[in-house]
Amino acid sequence: MFQSIAGKANLEKADLEPSLKALEDRQMTKNAEEIAEKLCESVAESLEGKKLASFTSISSTVQAAIEEALVLILTPRRSIDILRDVHAAKEQRKPYVVVFVGVNGVGKSTNLAKVAYWFLQHEVNVVVAACDTFRSGAVEQLRTHARRLQVSIPIFEKGYEKDPAIVAKEAIQEATRNGSDVVLADTAGRMQDNEPLMRALSKLIYLNNPDLVLFVGEALVGNDAVDQLSKFNQKLAELSTSPNPRLVDGILLTKFDTIDDKVGAALSMVYISGAPVIFVGCGQSFTDLKKLSVKSIVKTLLK
Amino acid sequence: MVLAQLGGSISRALQQMSNATIIDEKVLNECLNEITRALLQADVQFKLVRDMQTNIKKIVNLDDLAAGHNKRKIIQQAIFNELCKMLDPGKPSFIPKKGKTSVVMFVGLQGSGKTTTCTKYAYYHQKKGWKPALVCADTFRAGAFDQLKQNATKAKIPFYGSYMESDPVKIAVEGVERFKKENCDLIIVDTSGRHKQEVALFEEMRQVSEATKPDLVLFVMDSSIGQAAFDQAQAFKQSVAVGAVIVTKMDGHAKGGGALSAVAATKSPVIFIGTGEHMDEFEVFDVKPFVSRLLGMGDWSGFMDKIHEVVPMDQQPELLQKLSEGNFTLRIMYEQFQNILKMGPIGQVFSMLPGFSAELMPKGREKESQAKIKRYMTMMDSMTNEELDSSNPKLMNESRIMRIARGSGRHLREVMEMLEEYKRLAKIWSKMKGLKIPKKGDMSALSRNMNAQHMSKVLPPQMLKQIGGMGGLQSLMKQMGSTKDMMGMFGGGDK
Repeated sequence: MFQSIAGKANLEKADLEPSLKALEDRQMTKNAEEIAEKLCESVAESLEGKKLASFTSISSTVQAAIEEALVLILTPRRSIDILRDVHAAKEQRKPYVVVFVGVNGVGKSTNLAKVAYWFLQHEVNVVVAACDTFRSGAVEQLRTHARRLQVSIPIFEKGYEKDPAIVAKEAIQEATRNGSDVVLADTAGRMQDNEPLMRALSKLIYLNNPDLVLFVGEALVGNDAVDQLSKFNQKLAELSTSPNPRLVDGILLTKFDTIDDKVGAALSMVYISGAPVIFVGCGQSFTDLKKLSVKSIVKTLLK
Repeated sequence: MVLAQLGGSISRALQQMSNATIIDEKVLNECLNEITRALLQADVQFKLVRDMQTNIKKIVNLDDLAAGHNKRKIIQQAIFNELCKMLDPGKPSFIPKKGKTSVVMFVGLQGSGKTTTCTKYAYYHQKKGWKPALVCADTFRAGAFDQLKQNATKAKIPFYGSYMESDPVKIAVEGVERFKKENCDLIIVDTSGRHKQEVALFEEMRQVSEATKPDLVLFVMDSSIGQAAFDQAQAFKQSVAVGAVIVTKMDGHAKGGGALSAVAATKSPVIFIGTGEHMDEFEVFDVKPFVSRLLGMGDWSGFMDKIHEVVPMDQQPELLQKLSEGNFTLRIMYEQFQNILKMGPIGQVFSMLPGFSAELMPKGREKESQAKIKRYMTMMDSMTNEELDSSNPKLMNESRIMRIARGSGRHLREVMEMLEEYKRLAKIWSKMKGLKIPKKGDMSALSRNMNAQHMSKVLPPQMLKQIGGMGGLQSLMKQMGSTKDMMGMFGGGDK
């Protein structure tokens, strides 16, 4: 694909075009359409007029430049060290509250259980608040997870058809009383365009002021990923009653094992929101929770 | 609506083409490039898009077309057909027969909505007189059986499952056996979500399928899925005999192209779509009307069917008679409200009209307005016959309003609001007074023209713009052939 062209001193746009086009097409097939174009444009700009180092081909120069740009995008602008924050909250005798949000069926509850397991591994005790009071079986699902973890994780639940904001509030109060370190609040899945449901979510976040709003997104999702995340942010901002609305703080990317090399969703989401990918879910068991490896993603995207 | 954006960009591309004076190779290429870009942005698989492009070019061979052919029409038709072809493999799926036991198995990726869709599917058939039953063969995911159990209880559908048994094959076989004995004619087997990277899970699915011998395997697919859709769908198709597809979460804003690709991969028709989280938000899927709606070309047959379904034919002349006399009473309003509620989701009805898109009516707001209509009807239930049949607004004095508010358990303010709404509608209808109501079928061009002018006065300007101004309105009426149905609609549409 990358033909080496030897002996050119200055790079011109025309020289770059074939290599860039090839890269762009490559990313298109990997779910990164939204940003493929922008990325290539900016790379073209940065390379234009530059001198080729000796013994390098255009294609390898372009590839290196793109790699650099990709790493830059995927490396979070603000880093989140959850464990440190948990300890900070503990010193203030407050539980650290994480709210899981996302559209339907992305794996909020499953990954909540994985995160709970992760916390337990780090000797942090956890309370789960069952704030999905809409979908049938949601509360039982959490309870089954807690049982499978074989450590007693208290589940705070009030049954179905209750106001989730209130359930979360009471769960946090209870956690404060019992001296629990972390509250994980599971919410009902909602479509990003459904205004009443988004309003309810905004209320939940406003009322409880969690330490971390974690957006759970599916790696399987294509270009819709960007729409989901930006709409969640937009709706949370619009519908909030507070002057400084809380937005999505971090991303949990699920079903990472189902997509082979089509990893672009991660790229698009981070690029659009600037929120870092905190965890990556990649399997059905509790241990299948990883940190995002920027290097390997970039490698897959350019493969 | 899912795919709305895609539809919009394709329509725009076609529109641009009609602005060009001469249709030559260049214009066609430009148009096709535009469409290709739109499809790619909507997650349709790269290869499919390329194939489609070559196909269209093959059909629309500009040099071979005899002079005088409407090239735009031909190109438009070719694109329409190609889109249809992508969604329609050309062979119908297995259709369960009432009274004869059929087993239907649901498969799909995790979180695509299998369990929810299972219940919707059962509920849909139950309403049509089937005796459905649900078997939960998802022994893996936490809470799966509880979810199915609670859904089934809500819909009053028998179910089978176990908390203890962990072998899905065993449960599926036991469940199917049991419901066969109980003479259920539609046995639905729900399975765990899985994906092709887990070979063991695929093997398990094959075993369940072998043991229960389903008449139909339904592949459930989430509309937001991206470029990975094609590979996953193909893997499912290779392991079990996928017979049909259900696309879920169509109420989101997904671009839906991934699902399009997946459908192409399974070579099976889409038979239903899920459009919401509630039990009845489930629609039969038809390719041509869907594509036609997608491209903003409207779906007249669907729209007419809907109107005829709700407004009984024998009631229509009577209603029109009253209306043309300008007597718009509260009772008529009540009847119109009833019709609206019967029509189902208003956004859905509107999207069948050319030029309208479902985006006009956001999902949440629709619920609100339907709830409002229901409240109004409750208030009207507290009215006397005299009040209902009178068209004199002065009749409503304070004590009557007070009584209605008490009787319906609503605020005085709300009753007033409802009466205001009535006055607003009555005013609109009084403008309709001179409207000629022709007998079915015999509308001359002249009266059509007059009626169109009338309509344009009545319609809110935004709505008129959507239809395409006066000209659009006239052609719209021509298509409808009769104003009657129109009347039924505006009684409803205009609230």
